[in-house]
Amino acid sequence: MSGRGRWDWLQRVPMAVWMTAVWVLLWGHLTVANVLTGVLVSVLLLWVFPMPRVGFEGRVSLIGVVLLTGRLLVDVVRASVSVAIRALRWRQTPHGAVIRVPLRSESDLFLTLTAELTTLVPGSFVVEAHRFTGTLYLHVLDVTRPGALERARHDVFEQERRVMYAFATDADIEAAGFEPRPWRLRSRGGRTRTRMTRERSSYERGKVLPRDGEDES
Amino acid sequence: MLQLIAVHLLAALAAPALVSRFGRRMFLPLALVPGSAAIWALTRLGDVLAGEVPVQSVSWVDSLDMHLTFRLDVLAWLMVLLVGGIGALVMIYCAWYFATGAKFLGRFAGIFIGFAGAMLGLVTTDNTLALYTFWELTTVFSYLLIGHYFTRKGARRAGMQAIIVTTFGGLAMFAGFLILGAMPGGSFSLSELVREPPAGTAATVAIVCILVGALTKSALVPFHFWLPGAMAAPTPVSAYLHAAAMVKAGVYLVARLAPGFAEMDTWRWIILITGSATMLIGGYRSLKQHDLKLLLAFGTVSQLGFLILLVGQPNQAVALAGLALIGAHAMFKAALFLTVGVIDASAGTRDLRQLSGLGRNLRGAAIPGFLATFSMVGLPPFAGYVGKEAVLEALTHDGGAYESALLAVVVVGSVLTFAYGMRFLWGAFARKPGVADAQLDREPPGLFVPGFVLAILGLGAGLLPGLGEGLFERYAATYPAGEPGHLTLWGGIGPALALTVVIVAVGLGLFAARGLVERAQDAVILGPDADRGYRTLMRRLDRAAVAVTSATQRGSLPGYLGIILVVTVVSAAIALGSSGVQIGQVRLFDSPAQLLVAGIIVIGAILTAQARRRLKAVVLLGVTGYGVVVLFALHGAPDLALTQALVETIALVVFILVLRRLPAYFSNRPLKSSRWWRAALGALVGVLAMALALIVPAARVADPISVLFPTEAYEYGYGKNIVNVTLVDIRAWDTMGEIAVLLVAATGVASLVFARTRTRTGRVERMRDRRSGDAQVWPSELEDPASRLRPAQGTATAPRRARSWLTGPGALAPNRRSVIFEVATRLLFHTMLVFALFLLFSGHNAPGGGFVAGLIVGIALTVRYLAGGRYELGEAAPILPGALLGTGLFLSAGAGAVPLFFGGVVLQSVKIDVDLGILGEMHLVTSLFFDIGVFLVVVGLMLDVLRTLGAEIDRQGEATGTASPDIAHDSPRSSPDDSRPLVDAGGEH
Repeated sequence: MSGRGRWDWLQRVPMAVWMTAVWVLLWGHLTVANVLTGVLVSVLLLWVFPMPRVGFEGRVSLIGVVLLTGRLLVDVVRASVSVAIRALRWRQTPHGAVIRVPLRSESDLFLTLTAELTTLVPGSFVVEAHRFTGTLYLHVLDVTRPGALERARHDVFEQERRVMYAFATDADIEAAGFEPRPWRLRSRGGRTRTRMTRERSSYERGKVLPRDGEDES
Repeated sequence: MLQLIAVHLLAALAAPALVSRFGRRMFLPLALVPGSAAIWALTRLGDVLAGEVPVQSVSWVDSLDMHLTFRLDVLAWLMVLLVGGIGALVMIYCAWYFATGAKFLGRFAGIFIGFAGAMLGLVTTDNTLALYTFWELTTVFSYLLIGHYFTRKGARRAGMQAIIVTTFGGLAMFAGFLILGAMPGGSFSLSELVREPPAGTAATVAIVCILVGALTKSALVPFHFWLPGAMAAPTPVSAYLHAAAMVKAGVYLVARLAPGFAEMDTWRWIILITGSATMLIGGYRSLKQHDLKLLLAFGTVSQLGFLILLVGQPNQAVALAGLALIGAHAMFKAALFLTVGVIDASAGTRDLRQLSGLGRNLRGAAIPGFLATFSMVGLPPFAGYVGKEAVLEALTHDGGAYESALLAVVVVGSVLTFAYGMRFLWGAFARKPGVADAQLDREPPGLFVPGFVLAILGLGAGLLPGLGEGLFERYAATYPAGEPGHLTLWGGIGPALALTVVIVAVGLGLFAARGLVERAQDAVILGPDADRGYRTLMRRLDRAAVAVTSATQRGSLPGYLGIILVVTVVSAAIALGSSGVQIGQVRLFDSPAQLLVAGIIVIGAILTAQARRRLKAVVLLGVTGYGVVVLFALHGAPDLALTQALVETIALVVFILVLRRLPAYFSNRPLKSSRWWRAALGALVGVLAMALALIVPAARVADPISVLFPTEAYEYGYGKNIVNVTLVDIRAWDTMGEIAVLLVAATGVASLVFARTRTRTGRVERMRDRRSGDAQVWPSELEDPASRLRPAQGTATAPRRARSWLTGPGALAPNRRSVIFEVATRLLFHTMLVFALFLLFSGHNAPGGGFVAGLIVGIALTVRYLAGGRYELGEAAPILPGALLGTGLFLSAGAGAVPLFFGGVVLQSVKIDVDLGILGEMHLVTSLFFDIGVFLVVVGLMLDVLRTLGAEIDRQGEATGTASPDIAHDSPRSSPDDSRPLVDAGGEH
C-alpha cells in the first residue's frame, strides 16, 4: 500500500511542477514565498481532487516544445489569413470534406494534443477521434484545390511529429515510424539509452491495463 | 422581573429534556418556576400595600422606542400572583393528570412554562411594543397547547381557530399601539398613556384597535366562539389558559387602560355592548351544554364579559369590585376546571347525562366543586359574593340611565350564572334518576390537592374582604369617576342585598326549569351563530384566495414577464414624466470597436427574438452576452468582463442542461394580435432602457458616493481592487444578502428536481456504488458506428491507448465518450483550480475575488461532468452541495461577526501584517474569509445545479426509460395559428 502510494505521488510530480509554474506565472514574481505557496496549493489540490493513475511516459524536449509552439503560431497566423481571404471571396464557395487520418503514435495523450492543435489552426477542425484505432476525423474547410486532401493529411502527420518531438521518448518516436529527433542524433549517448530501457520495461512488466468501460481499481 | 422571565425561558428550554428523562413527576420541581413568580409577588406585598411601584428598565431597541421596562403596581401584582400561583398549582396537577407513558409530555412542559413566562412579561411590562411581543408569544404558545393532541383533527382545528382569531386581534392592537406611540402627545409607555391620555380621532381609532385586541383575546362577542373550541386542549391547559391566564390578558389590558380612557364615549359603548352581550350570551349558552367542560367554557365567556364590563367602567367602586372579581374568578374557575379534570379521569366521561352519584362517591372532587361554584354564583361568604355585592352596591348608588342598563345586565347575567352554576353542580355530582352510578377509578391524592387549595383560597379571600380592599383601592383610585367603593361581607340591608335575593331566587327557578330551558333554547334560534359565521368567512377567504391565485398565478411565463415589463415601463415612465426630462451629453462611442460590438449585439438580440429553436435562441442570447463582455473589456473593466464572461458561460451550460428535457422548438406561435402586443412591449422596454441611459446620468444632483470609493477602499478595506472591496467590505451586507438568496435559490432548485426522489438527495453517486448491471449513463438509441472497431473481449489494445484518464466515463454509453475531452479534462482540471485559487487570493488587489473564483471552479466541475457524466461529477466532488453552501454562508457570517469580539463593528475589515522572515511580509485582510465564504457558496450553487439539472435529470431519464429527447431529430408541428407558414421556419436549421 505504502509503496504503491509513494509511486502514486511520484507520478503526480510533473503535474505538481506544472501547477506550481502556473501559480508563479499568475502572481508574476518568482519569489520563495510564491514558489512555496505554489507547491502547497498544488499538493493540496492534487490530494483533495485525486485522479486515476496514468503514468506520463515521455520525455519533454525543450527544443521540441519551442519548435512546436513556434510552428503553431506561424500556422495559426498563416491559416487565419488564408481563411479570411477565402471568406471574403464572394463568388467561390469552398467545398469542405471530412477526412480520416489514422495517427501513428499509440498514445491517447499525443492523439489528444495533435487533435487540439489541429483544431486550433483555422480551417481544420477535428470532429471525432477514435481511441482504439487512434484515428482522427477532421473537417477541412476547402478541398477544391488539387492535392488539398493530401496536404491536410500531411499537416496532421507533421503536427503529430512535432508533438512527439516535444513530448515523446525516442523509442516511441521510433515505434511510430517518425525520424528520430534531428538534434539528438549528434548527442546520442548512454544516458538516453538507459532512459529508454527503463521506460520500455515499465509497461513490459505486464501491467494489465484497463479496457474501455471499466474502472481501473 | 427580567430575571424571573429569564428563569422561565431557561426552564422552558430545559423542561423537554428533563421531563423526557425523568417522566411526569418532573412537573413537581418545574412547578417551582411559575411558583417563584408568585412567591416573589408575595414578598413584594409590603411594597404594594405601601403604594410603592418597583420599576426595572433595560434598554432594548432604542431606535424603535422599545424598552424592557417592568412595573409592579397593584394590577400587575395581582396578575403576577395569579399567573404564577395558578401556574404552579396546575403544574402540580399535571404531575398526576397525565398518564405515565403519555407522549410529548416534555414538549408540553416546555411550552407550558414558556407560556407562563410570556404571561408574566405581558402583565408587568410598561412598554406597549414589548407588551405586544409577549401578547403574541402567549398566542403562539396557546396555539401549541390547544393543539397538544395534534393527532386529533378537532384539536388542530381548534388551535388554528384560536390562533387566527387572536392574532387578528393582536395585529389590530399592534396598530393601535403604533398610532398611540407615534401620534403627537402619544407614548409607547403604558403608564404615560394613562397619565396623559391623548385625544382626538387618531386616539379613538387607536383605542378601537386596541379594544379589538383585548376583546379577541378575552373571547368577547363576536369573537367568543374560539374559547369553547379551545376546550380540545388537555384540561390543565383549559384551567390555566382559559380560566386564569391568557383570556385574562384582555381583561388586564382593559383594566390597565381604563383609568385613562374609560370616559371616552367610544370606549364606553364598546365595553357596554360587547361586555353585556358576552355576559348574557355566554350564560345563556351554557345552560344547554351537556359537556361539563363546555358548560364551564361558556360560563367563562360569560364571566369574561362581566369582568371587562366592570374594569372598563370609569367608576372607582365598580372597578374595585372588578379587580376583586378578577382574583375570585381565577381561583374558582381554575378549581372548577381541575375538578372536571378529576371527574373526567375518574369516571371516564364529562357528559352530565351519564354522571351520577359522584357527590357521594367522589368527595375529593365534590367538595372543591361545591366551594368553587358557590364562589362563582356569588353566595356568601366566598370571594365571588364579596365582589358581586360590591358591584350591586356601586351600581345601585349612582342612578344614571347608563348605570341602570349596566345594573340590569349584571342582574340578568348573575341570574344566568346562578342557574348554570347549579346546573354544573347537579350535572357533576347529583344522583340522577334512571342513571346508574358512574364506575369510578381510584385517582392519586395529588390530583385533588390543587383544586382543594384554590377552592379554600376562594373561601379565605371572601372571609378577609378588608385585605382585598386595602390592596385594590389604590389601583381603583386611579379611575377617573365615582366614589371609592368597599369590599365587605355584610353591607347592611339595602337594594343590593334585595337584588342578591332576587338573583338567587330566579336562578333557582331557572335551574328547576332546566328541561324547559333546554327545549326552549333548541327551539329558538337567537341571531347568527358566530362559530358558523367564522367558518363561512374562512371558507370564503379560502375560495377568494384560490380565485386570486388562479387569476394572477396563471403559470404562463409570457404572462408574468408581461406584467413585470408593463410595471417597469409604467413606473419608469411616470418617474420620468414627473421629474422632467433632460438629456445629458451624448457621446456616440469612444472607439469604433464599440460600434462594431454593439452592432453584433443588436443583430444577436434580433435573431434571438426571431429564433424558433430553443437551442438557437440560447446560443444567440450568448452572443449578446459575450458582446457585452467585449464592451466591458473595451471600456477598461477587466473585473466586469471576467465575471460577465463566466456568468455567460455558466448560464449557457445551465440552459443547455435544462433544454435537454424540453422540446426542441418553442411552442407554436401565438395569435397575430398578441404577437404584435408582445413585440410592442419589448420595443417599449428597449426604448425605455435607452431613455434611462440617456437621462439618468444628467438627472444626478449630488456627487455620486462612488467618488469616495477609491480612497475608502484602500484606507478602510485595504485593497486596490475597488470592485472586490466593494463586494466584501463597503457593500458587504448586500453580498451577505445575495449569497443568502443564492443559497435559497439553489435549495429551491434542488428540492424541485429531487421532489420525487427525496431519499437520493443525501447521497453522492460514486463509481464504487455502481453495479455491473446498472444502465449506462446517457444512453443513445443510435447505433454506435465505431462498435465494429471496438476490440473483442480479452484482446489487448496497444498499451497506451484507451486508458482511463478519468474514472467516471466508464459508466457512459460507449458512443458518448470522447478521448479528447477526457484527456483535456484530465490535464486542465487542476490547472483551472490553481487559477481559481489565484483569483480568490489575489482578488483583493487585482481582478478576481471569491465570486469569480467560485465560477471557475464551477466551470471546472462542469467540464468534468460533461466529459464523464454524473459519476465523474460524483468523483470530482464527492460532497453534498448543501455542505458547501452552508459552510460558505457560515464562514461569511462568522467572519463578519468576528470583529465584534474585538470591539469592532460587524463586517469591519482588519489588516494583519505578518513578517515571515526570508519569505517577506504577508498582508492578510480579514475580509478574505468573507470572500472565501462567497467562494464556497458559489461553488456549492454550481455543484447543486450540476447535480440537479445535470445528474439527477440524467438519472430520472434512465430510470423512467425516456432518455432525453435528441433535439436534432425533433421536428416542429405546424398549427393553424401560425402566422407564417412553417416552411420558412423549417429552413432555419
